[in-house]
Amino acid sequence: MKAQFLKGIRFADLTWAGAGPFSTKIFADFGADVIKVESASRADPVRLGGPFRDGIPGLNRSGYFASRNTGKRSVALNLKSDEGRAVVHDLIRTADVVSNNFGPGAMDRLGLGYEEVRRIRPDVIYLSMPMYGEDGPLKNLLGVGMTISAVTGLMSLTGYHDGPPLGPGTHFPDHAANPYHAAFAVLAALRHRRRTGRGMKIDLAQVESTINCVGPAVLEQAITGQEPARVGNRSLEHAPHNVFRCQGEDRWCAVTVLNDAQWESLARVIGATELAADPGLATAAGRLARVDEVEAAVARWTAERDAETVMETLQAQGIPAGVVHDPRSLMERDPQLRHRGYWQRLDHPELKEATYTSPPFRLDGERVALSRPPLIGEHTDAVLSDILGYDAARIAALRAAGTIEV
Amino acid sequence: MPNATERPYDGLRVIDLTHRLSAYATRLFADLGAEVIRVEPPRGRGDRGSPALPGLGGDVCFSFLNANKKSVGLDLAGETGREVLADLVASAQVVVLEGEEAALLPLVLSVPGARVVTMVSHFGLDGPYAGYLGSDLVTQSLGGITWMSGEPGAPPLRIAGGQAGFVASLYAATATALALYDVEVNGGGPHLIDISAQEAIAHSLQNALQVWDLEGRISMRGGEGTRDATEQVLACKDGHVFLASPLGMPLSWKALVDWMAEEGHPGGERLKAPDWMDRRKRTTRALRDEFRTLFESFAADKTKAEMRAEALKRRLIMAPVSGIADLPADPQLVFRRYFSELPHPAAGRSLRMPGAPYRLSEPVWKLDRPAPLPGEHNGELSGRVTPRAAAG
Repeated sequence: MKAQFLKGIRFADLTWAGAGPFSTKIFADFGADVIKVESASRADPVRLGGPFRDGIPGLNRSGYFASRNTGKRSVALNLKSDEGRAVVHDLIRTADVVSNNFGPGAMDRLGLGYEEVRRIRPDVIYLSMPMYGEDGPLKNLLGVGMTISAVTGLMSLTGYHDGPPLGPGTHFPDHAANPYHAAFAVLAALRHRRRTGRGMKIDLAQVESTINCVGPAVLEQAITGQEPARVGNRSLEHAPHNVFRCQGEDRWCAVTVLNDAQWESLARVIGATELAADPGLATAAGRLARVDEVEAAVARWTAERDAETVMETLQAQGIPAGVVHDPRSLMERDPQLRHRGYWQRLDHPELKEATYTSPPFRLDGERVALSRPPLIGEHTDAVLSDILGYDAARIAALRAAGTIEV
Repeated sequence: MPNATERPYDGLRVIDLTHRLSAYATRLFADLGAEVIRVEPPRGRGDRGSPALPGLGGDVCFSFLNANKKSVGLDLAGETGREVLADLVASAQVVVLEGEEAALLPLVLSVPGARVVTMVSHFGLDGPYAGYLGSDLVTQSLGGITWMSGEPGAPPLRIAGGQAGFVASLYAATATALALYDVEVNGGGPHLIDISAQEAIAHSLQNALQVWDLEGRISMRGGEGTRDATEQVLACKDGHVFLASPLGMPLSWKALVDWMAEEGHPGGERLKAPDWMDRRKRTTRALRDEFRTLFESFAADKTKAEMRAEALKRRLIMAPVSGIADLPADPQLVFRRYFSELPHPAAGRSLRMPGAPYRLSEPVWKLDRPAPLPGEHNGELSGRVTPRAAAG
């Protein structure tokens, strides 16, 4: 289904890179007119970063960009020129939401700070997503997703039980915590505006948003006074609980016993008759005390089977188990995602037909159908003429002056 | 005349039948004014765990995820309890269900009205895994994110802190708010949202799926072959820092090399050699290892705080790896008064809670009360729901 819930809502979207555009994508997927205001001379770094169709770089060939910008329209302007800013001001007059994820002060320097925008559009919903917030002694600390993991404790908590902090292998806060906190806040602000007539500014400091996703650890430390343990794939409450090597090259299956009955089943399935009969292992506390021995028994059994067989055999006995998917096995072999129609194929002039992930839910039994991401500047003329009412001569003059970049 | 104290989700009632995968979703609504009512057995639902403190009503996960909510205790095995639940649903605009509570879905859907019903599960309502059991580790693994972390040569590693639940909850909250928009603005609905935590995790893999789809490469944990030599967790005098100074961030790279040169460290010369100008070479194990040795010898006499001060001054992308215990003293978080102390009368103390995930220019985000004790709000049922519930 094409979801049109948000028809009539418009974004002047100045976000770029990863977290910002992911926040506004869901609005475009649900029918809002999300107009990406970008620059060709100072292009979105994600347009410049790979992967590219067939490995050949190009502003319109990045799969990373494509995955963050489905359904949006693109206007390419030189924002540093007065004329470019005037066009953006005209656009903002028609926009419900103005969004950006630049560092502190950058929007002010562009003449697009909150107070200035509010003069143009008094009930605007204004989303900012700086790393550490817009004020304070560290506001200018530069960062990427992994620095956010570092300063929030997420990096310190993530590591093997007997090793140093490693952190997520991706810029994890950019891909869930921050974009979807932001999207939720914008939706709340839209409801608030409906009820009160007032807009608001959303200052989403990405560090503050991400700390909520380690909230239980914050509470634990406050209560115990101790740094929460780094447990890796293990658990402080359950055993065995880990990923186990299976047949094949770098293949693994997660096995997590969450109660004593599951342990009884597991011990029986893996043929560990002595362990099954050992009263010392009948409780989680007993198994945790001998966790190396228990895990070794599971590992001996999984090593002789492929990961899918391990998962299917254990799940059939009511034991939570799951293959450790790599990107290829996830896309090509996972029967669940295939069954649920998770993957969508979209055509695009330069990316050609490529695979996209659906919003991760079904709505009334259906998938929300995506529209392809925009070429850079693809909609400049349409937006300037249809929304802003500029005539052809004015658009031509802006293009001749370099204000319109594509 | 607008009411200055009005909050975005004032007037919204949410029936909360959540566990660990979805409890944060309803918390987000509660923080912005919704009345979120946990309906649970009289002695509490299993997601409470063992109290972390006497009087707390649950473990630290429960206490964080259920702040600002109410609790009504009902025996849902009995006819009366189910009737009261139906009445509560009739009075609500949103219902969120998870786990064993999925068995209540037919009852919830039988109540007339254009509302949003959100089901959250590990794998979704149908398909070959619909009967499978999930857990944080199993679901992170089947979603593809466990693969992305850890060291080469060692097992794949999940992300800490129950992230399957946070990711699923953030999508559940956003999808629920979108569907509610349709009900309230367009007169649409009722809507049933079927959230799969596996799909939510698979939606959070950075660009790894596109790397496979478009270029036929598989991203490997540990960053070998993909991540620049500088993009590592590196030891300093009193802990670790995370650094990012790849050639693609030329100012950060120059700042680092200049700093080493200023201090007369051999890195200042070595990092100017031609092999350090080669992006691909910089992702190899050899250069990653060499960089670690160089940097850690440079940083051995510098504390995390000193490193951060230099990063600010030199515009270097580098930050301390903070422990959870370091957070309350983080100068930025102190300046912004981020943490709050939430009084918990039953536990006889206050609890340090993370502040709002977003600062709103209107004072509408509030932490009003700690997670409820089982049935703490039963008294509010009378007269608030329907005559039948009051009589029951």
